[in-house]
Amino acid sequence: MITVDGLTKRFGRKVAVDGLGFTVRSGQVTGFLGPNGSGKSTTMRCMLCLDRADAGVALFDGRAYGQIRSPLHEIGVLLDAGYVHPGRTGRNHLRWLAASNGLPRTRVDEVLETVGLTTVGSKRLRTYSLGMRQRLGLAGVLLGDPHTVILDEPANGLDPEGIRWIRDVLVHLAEQDRTVLVSSHLLSEMALMASELVVIGQGRLIEQCSVAEFIDRHSERWVRVQSPTVARLREVLQAEGAEVAPVDESTIEVRGVTTAEAGELAARHGVVLHELSTQTGSLEDAFLRATASAQEYTAGPL
Amino acid sequence: MIDALRSEWIKLRTIRMNWVLFMIAVAFPLVVVVLVISLSDVDEIEGSNVIGLLTGTSVITAMLLGVIGASTITGEFGFGTIRVTFAATPRRMVVLVAKAIITVITALVVETLVVGVGWFAASAIASARDMPIEFSDSASGAAPVVGVIAFAAIVALLGYGLGLLIRNTPAAIAVLILWPLIAEGIVGVVLDSAGVDEAFKWLPYQSGINMGNPELGENGDESFGRVASGLYFFGVTAVIAGIGAFLTRRRDA
Repeated sequence: MITVDGLTKRFGRKVAVDGLGFTVRSGQVTGFLGPNGSGKSTTMRCMLCLDRADAGVALFDGRAYGQIRSPLHEIGVLLDAGYVHPGRTGRNHLRWLAASNGLPRTRVDEVLETVGLTTVGSKRLRTYSLGMRQRLGLAGVLLGDPHTVILDEPANGLDPEGIRWIRDVLVHLAEQDRTVLVSSHLLSEMALMASELVVIGQGRLIEQCSVAEFIDRHSERWVRVQSPTVARLREVLQAEGAEVAPVDESTIEVRGVTTAEAGELAARHGVVLHELSTQTGSLEDAFLRATASAQEYTAGPL
Repeated sequence: MIDALRSEWIKLRTIRMNWVLFMIAVAFPLVVVVLVISLSDVDEIEGSNVIGLLTGTSVITAMLLGVIGASTITGEFGFGTIRVTFAATPRRMVVLVAKAIITVITALVVETLVVGVGWFAASAIASARDMPIEFSDSASGAAPVVGVIAFAAIVALLGYGLGLLIRNTPAAIAVLILWPLIAEGIVGVVLDSAGVDEAFKWLPYQSGINMGNPELGENGDESFGRVASGLYFFGVTAVIAGIGAFLTRRRDA
C-alpha cells in the first residue's frame, strides 16, 4: 500500500504539488489522473525521493522510498521510457539496472522475453521506436518482480495494440494482488485500465473514488426522444419544466426529466415514440468538467 | 557498494564512444614515442628523453580520461538516466562514490598501460638501434612515470567533479580543457608580467603537471616538489568533486 500525505513541492514561487494526499491499495489498478501540468510527474518524482518534497510524506508499506536499500525488489518504476542512453543496447541497459540491485543476469533475458524484445535486445536504443522503449521500460519495472508498480504515462505514444498490451499487463499484475499506480492525462485510456482513480488538478486532489463513481458523478445525462409528432411532445415537456433542444424535425434532446418520466408523459398525451433513450456524456467531458477549474493551460477560441 | 560498482562498470564499458576515447588516449602517446625513438638520431636516444616524451604526451591521455570522467555523470543528466539510477539506488552517495572509484581505477589502468607499453616499445626500439635505455638515465628515475599515472587519475576525477557541478557535457568538457589552457595560462602570464614567480606554484593544474615533470627542480622553478604538488592538485580536485557530490545529493535529480 502506498500512502501519500500532505505532499507539497514548490519550484520557486510556483506550487507544483499542494498538500496532496491519497492512498493506493493492492489488488487493483489505481489511475493517477490530471490534465497536463497538474503535477502528476512531480508527485511521482517526490514519492520516489528524486525531487525533494518541501512538505509531506509518501510511504510504501510504512517506509519512505529513500530508506529502501534495493528498491527494485519491491517497487518497479517507469517514469519516462526516454530515460535511456541511445548508444547502449537494450540488454545492456537492463544489465546495469539489474546489477545495481544485485539481480542476476539471467533475469534480464527473462524480462526481455516477457516484453517481447528478445530479438532486439542486442540493438542500440537509438534504433528503438517509442513503443519498443515503453516495452523496455516495463521490462525494467518487472526486473525485480516487485509487489508495487509505478508508471508515468506508460501508454504515451503507443499504438492501440500497445495500449491494450500495457493494460493487460497492468490488470494482470493487479490480479496478483500487487499495488499498481499508473498516471495518464486521458480518462478514456484510464477507464480501460483502472478501477480506482486519484484525480488531481493544479497539484491538489480533486477526488479519489472508483472509475464508475467518477463518471457517474461528473458526466452529464439527458434523454433523446424521436417522434413523428415531436412538436406536441415538446410542448408537454416544456410545460413540465424540462429543457428541450431540437436535433432535427423529429428528434429532441431533453434535460431535467428521466427517461421514465418522458415516456409516461408521452403515453399520457398519446404521443407516438420511435426512440426513447438515455444519453451519457463522454468520459472526456466528465474529466474536463471535473478539472475545469484546475486546467493549467486553456486554449483560446478558434 | 559492490552492486553499485558493478553497475557503474557495466555503464562505462557499454558505451562505444568511451572505447574510442580510451583507444585514442592510449594510442596517441604510443605513436608519438615509437615515431620519435625510431626516427631520431641514435645519440639522442636516452632514458630521460623517453620519460619526457611519455609524460608530456600523457597530458592528452589525462585530458581524454577527464572527458570520459565528466561524461559518465553529465551523460546521465543529459539522457535522464540519472533518475533511473537514483530510483534504483536511492542512497545517492553510494552511486556517486562508485562512479568516482570506477573513474579513478580506469584512469590508473589506462595511464599505466600507456607508460608501461610506451617504455617497453621505446626500450625495444632503442635496443634494436644499439642504444639501450634505463630509468636511471634520468636524474629523477621512475618518479615522473609514477607521478604522471597519478596525474592522469586526478584529471579524470577532476573531469568527473566538474561534470557533477556543471551537469552538462559540452560545458563540463569546455571548462576541463579551458582551465589549464586558458585560465591558468592567462593567470600565469599576468603573474609573470607582475613579477610574482612564487604564485605559479599555486596554480592547481600546473602543480599537477609537476608530478610527471622529469626535470622538476632542475631549472630552479618554484614548486612544492613532486609529491606535495600532487597532493595540492588532488586536494583542489577533491574539493570540486566533493562540492559536486554534495549538491547532487541535495538537488532534485
